[in-house]
Amino acid sequence: MPGSIDDHRWSQQHLSHYVEGELPQRDRRRLDRHARDCADCWRGLRAMRALVYAVQGLDGLAGVRAPATIFDRVRLAAAGGSPSSPNA
Amino acid sequence: MPPLAGQRAPGSADTEASLIARAQGGDVSAFERLSSAYADRLFMLLLRLLGDRSEAEDVAQEVMLRAWRGIGGFRGNSSYFTWLYRIAVNEANRALEKSARRPPGTPIGADELQLPASAADDPARQAENNELRQALARALAELPPPLRTAIVLRDVEGFSTQEAAEIAGVGQAAFKSRLHQARLRVRAAIGDEVLVTSGG
Repeated sequence: MPGSIDDHRWSQQHLSHYVEGELPQRDRRRLDRHARDCADCWRGLRAMRALVYAVQGLDGLAGVRAPATIFDRVRLAAAGGSPSSPNA
Repeated sequence: MPPLAGQRAPGSADTEASLIARAQGGDVSAFERLSSAYADRLFMLLLRLLGDRSEAEDVAQEVMLRAWRGIGGFRGNSSYFTWLYRIAVNEANRALEKSARRPPGTPIGADELQLPASAADDPARQAENNELRQALARALAELPPPLRTAIVLRDVEGFSTQEAAEIAGVGQAAFKSRLHQARLRVRAAIGDEVLVTSGG
Protein backbone atom coordinates (compact mmCIF):
# COMPACT_ATOMS: atom_id res chain seq x y z
CA MET A 1 0.00 0.00 0.00
CA PRO A 2 1.95 3.00 -1.22
CA GLY A 3 1.55 6.44 0.28
CA SER A 4 0.61 7.19 3.82
CA ILE A 5 -1.83 5.22 5.91
CA ASP A 6 -3.80 8.45 6.22
CA ASP A 7 -4.09 8.74 2.44
CA HIS A 8 -5.27 5.16 2.18
CA ARG A 9 -7.82 5.43 4.95
CA TRP A 10 -9.06 8.74 3.58
CA SER A 11 -9.35 7.34 0.07
CA GLN A 12 -11.31 4.33 1.25
CA GLN A 13 -13.72 6.65 3.03
CA HIS A 14 -14.27 8.79 -0.04
CA LEU A 15 -14.72 6.25 -2.83
CA SER A 16 -18.48 6.82 -2.88
CA HIS A 17 -18.07 10.60 -2.97
CA TYR A 18 -15.53 10.26 -5.78
CA VAL A 19 -17.95 8.21 -7.85
CA GLU A 20 -20.66 10.79 -7.15
CA GLY A 21 -18.39 13.42 -8.65
CA GLU A 22 -18.78 15.43 -5.48
CA LEU A 23 -15.18 15.71 -4.40
CA PRO A 24 -13.51 19.08 -4.84
CA GLN A 25 -10.80 19.06 -7.49
CA ARG A 26 -8.02 18.99 -4.91
CA ASP A 27 -9.48 15.97 -3.10
CA ARG A 28 -10.14 14.25 -6.39
CA ARG A 29 -6.49 14.63 -7.34
CA ARG A 30 -5.45 13.31 -3.93
CA LEU A 31 -7.50 10.17 -4.43
CA ASP A 32 -6.33 9.81 -8.05
CA ARG A 33 -2.70 10.03 -6.95
CA HIS A 34 -3.15 7.45 -4.24
CA ALA A 35 -5.23 5.02 -6.32
CA ARG A 36 -2.71 5.06 -9.14
CA ASP A 37 -0.29 3.18 -6.92
CA CYS A 38 -2.65 1.39 -4.56
CA ALA A 39 -4.20 -1.75 -6.01
CA ASP A 40 -6.69 -1.93 -3.18
CA CYS A 41 -8.11 1.54 -3.79
CA TRP A 42 -7.93 1.16 -7.56
CA ARG A 43 -10.03 -2.00 -7.33
CA GLY A 44 -12.30 -0.26 -4.83
CA LEU A 45 -12.95 2.56 -7.26
CA ARG A 46 -13.78 0.19 -10.09
CA ALA A 47 -16.02 -1.88 -7.82
CA MET A 48 -17.85 1.20 -6.55
CA ARG A 49 -18.46 2.42 -10.11
CA ALA A 50 -19.71 -1.01 -11.14
CA LEU A 51 -21.95 -1.18 -8.09
CA VAL A 52 -23.61 2.15 -8.80
CA TYR A 53 -24.09 1.18 -12.44
CA ALA A 54 -25.63 -2.16 -11.47
CA VAL A 55 -27.96 -0.66 -8.87
CA GLN A 56 -29.03 2.04 -11.33
CA GLY A 57 -30.01 -0.78 -13.65
CA LEU A 58 -32.45 -2.29 -11.16
CA ASP A 59 -35.40 -0.75 -12.96
CA GLY A 60 -37.43 -3.83 -13.69
CA LEU A 61 -40.32 -2.46 -11.66
CA ALA A 62 -40.81 0.31 -14.18
CA GLY A 63 -44.10 -1.08 -15.47
CA VAL A 64 -45.65 -1.57 -12.06
CA ARG A 65 -48.95 0.24 -11.49
CA ALA A 66 -50.36 1.45 -8.20
CA PRO A 67 -53.26 -0.66 -6.93
CA ALA A 68 -56.77 0.58 -7.67
CA THR A 69 -57.44 0.57 -3.92
CA ILE A 70 -54.86 3.25 -3.18
CA PHE A 71 -57.48 5.94 -2.38
CA ASP A 72 -59.92 3.68 -0.52
CA ARG A 73 -59.04 4.99 2.94
CA VAL A 74 -59.11 8.57 1.73
CA ARG A 75 -62.62 8.08 0.33
CA LEU A 76 -63.77 6.46 3.57
CA ALA A 77 -62.35 9.29 5.63
CA ALA A 78 -63.86 11.93 3.36
CA ALA A 79 -67.28 10.23 3.31
CA GLY A 80 -67.31 9.85 7.06
CA GLY A 81 -66.70 13.50 7.69
CA SER A 82 -63.58 12.57 9.55
CA PRO A 83 -62.62 15.09 12.24
CA SER A 84 -59.17 15.08 10.73
CA SER A 85 -60.35 16.41 7.41
CA PRO A 86 -58.04 18.85 5.60
CA ASN A 87 -59.84 21.81 7.05
CA ALA A 88 -59.46 20.62 10.60
CA MET B 1 -35.32 6.50 -14.10
CA PRO B 2 -34.98 10.28 -13.92
CA PRO B 3 -36.36 12.38 -11.10
CA LEU B 4 -39.82 13.65 -11.83
CA ALA B 5 -40.66 16.56 -9.60
CA GLY B 6 -43.43 18.21 -11.53
CA GLN B 7 -43.59 15.36 -14.04
CA ARG B 8 -46.98 14.15 -15.21
CA ALA B 9 -48.70 17.33 -14.13
CA PRO B 10 -52.30 16.47 -13.37
CA GLY B 11 -54.01 17.63 -16.52
CA SER B 12 -53.95 20.78 -18.52
CA ALA B 13 -57.16 22.36 -17.27
CA ASP B 14 -56.14 22.27 -13.63
CA THR B 15 -52.73 23.29 -12.49
CA GLU B 16 -51.15 21.47 -9.61
CA ALA B 17 -51.46 24.62 -7.51
CA SER B 18 -55.21 24.86 -8.12
CA LEU B 19 -55.69 21.18 -7.28
CA ILE B 20 -53.75 21.64 -4.06
CA ALA B 21 -55.90 24.63 -3.15
CA ARG B 22 -59.09 22.69 -3.86
CA ALA B 23 -57.85 19.67 -1.92
CA GLN B 24 -57.00 21.92 0.99
CA GLY B 25 -60.57 23.11 0.84
CA GLY B 26 -61.81 19.54 1.27
CA ASP B 27 -62.30 18.50 -2.39
CA VAL B 28 -61.42 14.82 -2.35
CA SER B 29 -61.65 14.41 -6.13
CA ALA B 30 -59.08 17.18 -6.56
CA PHE B 31 -56.84 15.40 -4.06
CA GLU B 32 -57.16 12.14 -6.01
CA ARG B 33 -56.36 13.85 -9.29
CA LEU B 34 -53.41 15.58 -7.78
CA SER B 35 -51.97 12.49 -6.13
CA SER B 36 -52.79 9.90 -8.76
CA ALA B 37 -50.22 11.52 -11.04
CA TYR B 38 -47.54 10.22 -8.67
CA ALA B 39 -49.23 7.04 -7.45
CA ASP B 40 -47.42 4.55 -9.70
CA ARG B 41 -43.98 5.81 -8.87
CA LEU B 42 -44.80 6.09 -5.20
CA PHE B 43 -45.99 2.48 -5.20
CA MET B 44 -42.75 1.36 -6.87
CA LEU B 45 -40.78 3.12 -4.16
CA LEU B 46 -42.78 1.32 -1.48
CA LEU B 47 -42.23 -2.01 -3.20
CA ARG B 48 -38.50 -1.39 -3.22
CA LEU B 49 -38.38 -0.28 0.40
CA LEU B 50 -40.70 -2.94 1.77
CA GLY B 51 -40.01 -5.82 -0.59
CA ASP B 52 -43.53 -7.16 -0.24
CA ARG B 53 -46.45 -6.35 -2.49
CA SER B 54 -49.31 -6.76 -0.03
CA GLU B 55 -47.51 -4.67 2.57
CA ALA B 56 -46.72 -2.05 -0.06
CA GLU B 57 -50.42 -1.91 -0.99
CA ASP B 58 -51.40 -1.43 2.63
CA VAL B 59 -48.79 1.26 3.24
CA ALA B 60 -49.70 3.02 -0.02
CA GLN B 61 -53.26 3.47 1.24
CA GLU B 62 -51.93 4.78 4.54
CA VAL B 63 -49.63 7.22 2.73
CA MET B 64 -52.55 8.67 0.79
CA LEU B 65 -54.68 8.90 3.92
CA ARG B 66 -51.92 10.76 5.77
CA ALA B 67 -51.40 13.05 2.81
CA TRP B 68 -55.13 13.80 2.67
CA ARG B 69 -55.23 14.53 6.39
CA GLY B 70 -52.09 16.61 6.22
CA ILE B 71 -52.60 18.57 3.04
CA GLY B 72 -54.13 21.44 4.96
CA GLY B 73 -50.68 22.04 6.40
CA PHE B 74 -48.86 21.81 3.07
CA ARG B 75 -47.25 25.19 2.51
CA GLY B 76 -45.43 24.54 -0.73
CA ASN B 77 -41.96 24.81 0.76
CA SER B 78 -41.11 21.73 -1.27
CA SER B 79 -42.87 20.33 -4.32
CA TYR B 80 -46.02 18.34 -3.67
CA PHE B 81 -44.26 15.29 -5.06
CA THR B 82 -41.34 15.62 -2.64
CA TRP B 83 -43.77 16.13 0.24
CA LEU B 84 -45.74 13.02 -0.75
CA TYR B 85 -42.59 10.95 -1.16
CA ARG B 86 -41.37 12.01 2.28
CA ILE B 87 -44.61 10.71 3.78
CA ALA B 88 -44.08 7.45 1.89
CA VAL B 89 -40.53 7.00 3.21
CA ASN B 90 -41.69 7.73 6.76
CA GLU B 91 -44.58 5.29 6.49
CA ALA B 92 -42.38 2.58 4.99
CA ASN B 93 -39.87 2.93 7.81
CA ARG B 94 -42.68 2.97 10.35
CA ALA B 95 -44.08 -0.25 8.88
CA LEU B 96 -40.67 -1.90 9.01
CA GLU B 97 -40.18 -0.86 12.63
CA LYS B 98 -43.68 -1.93 13.56
CA SER B 99 -43.18 -5.39 12.20
CA ALA B 100 -39.76 -5.45 13.91
CA ARG B 101 -38.22 -7.30 11.06
CA ARG B 102 -36.43 -6.74 7.86
CA PRO B 103 -38.23 -7.24 4.57
CA PRO B 104 -39.28 -10.81 3.94
CA GLY B 105 -37.34 -13.38 2.02
CA THR B 106 -38.45 -12.12 -1.36
CA PRO B 107 -36.41 -8.96 -1.37
CA ILE B 108 -37.28 -5.95 -3.46
CA GLY B 109 -38.87 -7.84 -6.31
CA ALA B 110 -35.83 -9.98 -6.93
CA ASP B 111 -37.54 -11.87 -9.71
CA GLU B 112 -38.69 -8.72 -11.43
CA LEU B 113 -35.53 -6.65 -11.38
CA GLN B 114 -33.43 -6.56 -14.50
CA LEU B 115 -29.99 -5.22 -15.19
CA PRO B 116 -29.54 -3.27 -18.42
CA ALA B 117 -29.33 -5.81 -21.19
CA SER B 118 -27.10 -5.50 -24.16
CA ALA B 119 -27.85 -7.08 -27.49
CA ALA B 120 -24.29 -8.30 -27.42
CA ASP B 121 -24.82 -10.14 -24.15
CA ASP B 122 -24.29 -13.83 -24.64
CA PRO B 123 -26.14 -16.42 -22.51
CA ALA B 124 -23.21 -16.78 -20.12
CA ARG B 125 -23.13 -13.03 -19.61
CA GLN B 126 -26.88 -12.93 -19.07
CA ALA B 127 -26.57 -15.69 -16.48
CA GLU B 128 -23.91 -13.65 -14.67
CA ASN B 129 -26.18 -10.61 -14.73
CA ASN B 130 -29.01 -12.72 -13.40
CA GLU B 131 -26.89 -13.83 -10.48
CA LEU B 132 -25.71 -10.30 -9.87
CA ARG B 133 -29.21 -8.81 -9.76
CA GLN B 134 -30.31 -11.47 -7.30
CA ALA B 135 -27.26 -10.81 -5.14
CA LEU B 136 -27.96 -7.07 -5.31
CA ALA B 137 -31.58 -7.55 -4.35
CA ARG B 138 -30.57 -9.69 -1.37
CA ALA B 139 -27.92 -7.22 -0.28
CA LEU B 140 -30.31 -4.27 -0.51
CA ALA B 141 -32.92 -6.14 1.52
CA GLU B 142 -30.38 -6.78 4.25
CA LEU B 143 -29.63 -3.09 4.73
CA PRO B 144 -31.12 -1.24 7.71
CA PRO B 145 -34.06 0.90 6.51
CA PRO B 146 -32.25 4.29 6.57
CA LEU B 147 -29.40 2.92 4.46
CA ARG B 148 -31.76 1.13 2.10
CA THR B 149 -33.77 4.33 1.72
CA ALA B 150 -30.60 6.24 0.80
CA ILE B 151 -29.43 3.86 -1.91
CA VAL B 152 -32.92 3.34 -3.34
CA LEU B 153 -33.62 7.08 -3.58
CA ARG B 154 -30.23 8.02 -5.01
CA ASP B 155 -29.13 5.10 -7.13
CA VAL B 156 -32.32 3.26 -8.07
CA GLU B 157 -34.78 6.16 -8.24
CA GLY B 158 -32.18 8.56 -9.56
CA PHE B 159 -32.91 11.58 -7.38
CA SER B 160 -30.22 14.17 -6.89
CA THR B 161 -28.51 14.14 -3.53
CA GLN B 162 -30.39 17.28 -2.56
CA GLU B 163 -33.80 15.87 -3.51
CA ALA B 164 -33.09 12.48 -1.94
CA ALA B 165 -31.92 14.07 1.32
CA GLU B 166 -35.05 16.19 1.43
CA ILE B 167 -37.28 13.17 0.89
CA ALA B 168 -35.37 11.15 3.48
CA GLY B 169 -35.79 14.05 5.90
CA VAL B 170 -32.09 14.48 6.70
CA GLY B 171 -29.40 16.98 5.82
CA GLN B 172 -27.23 16.42 2.77
CA ALA B 173 -24.15 15.53 4.81
CA ALA B 174 -26.03 12.89 6.77
CA PHE B 175 -27.58 11.57 3.59
CA LYS B 176 -24.19 11.24 1.87
CA SER B 177 -22.87 9.37 4.87
CA ARG B 178 -25.80 6.95 4.73
CA LEU B 179 -25.37 6.47 1.01
CA HIS B 180 -21.67 5.77 1.44
CA GLN B 181 -22.36 3.24 4.20
CA ALA B 182 -25.04 1.58 2.11
CA ARG B 183 -22.76 1.24 -0.89
CA LEU B 184 -19.94 -0.12 1.24
CA ARG B 185 -22.20 -2.77 2.73
CA VAL B 186 -23.63 -3.83 -0.61
CA ARG B 187 -20.15 -3.86 -2.11
CA ALA B 188 -18.90 -6.05 0.74
CA ALA B 189 -21.87 -8.39 0.40
CA ILE B 190 -21.32 -8.93 -3.31
CA GLY B 191 -17.57 -8.77 -3.52
CA ASP B 192 -15.27 -6.59 -5.61
CA GLU B 193 -14.35 -9.42 -7.94
CA VAL B 194 -17.95 -10.01 -8.98
CA LEU B 195 -18.64 -6.29 -9.35
CA VAL B 196 -15.53 -5.50 -11.34
CA THR B 197 -16.15 -8.46 -13.66
CA SER B 198 -19.76 -7.42 -14.19
CA GLY B 199 -18.71 -3.87 -14.84
CA GLY B 200 -16.55 -4.99 -17.71
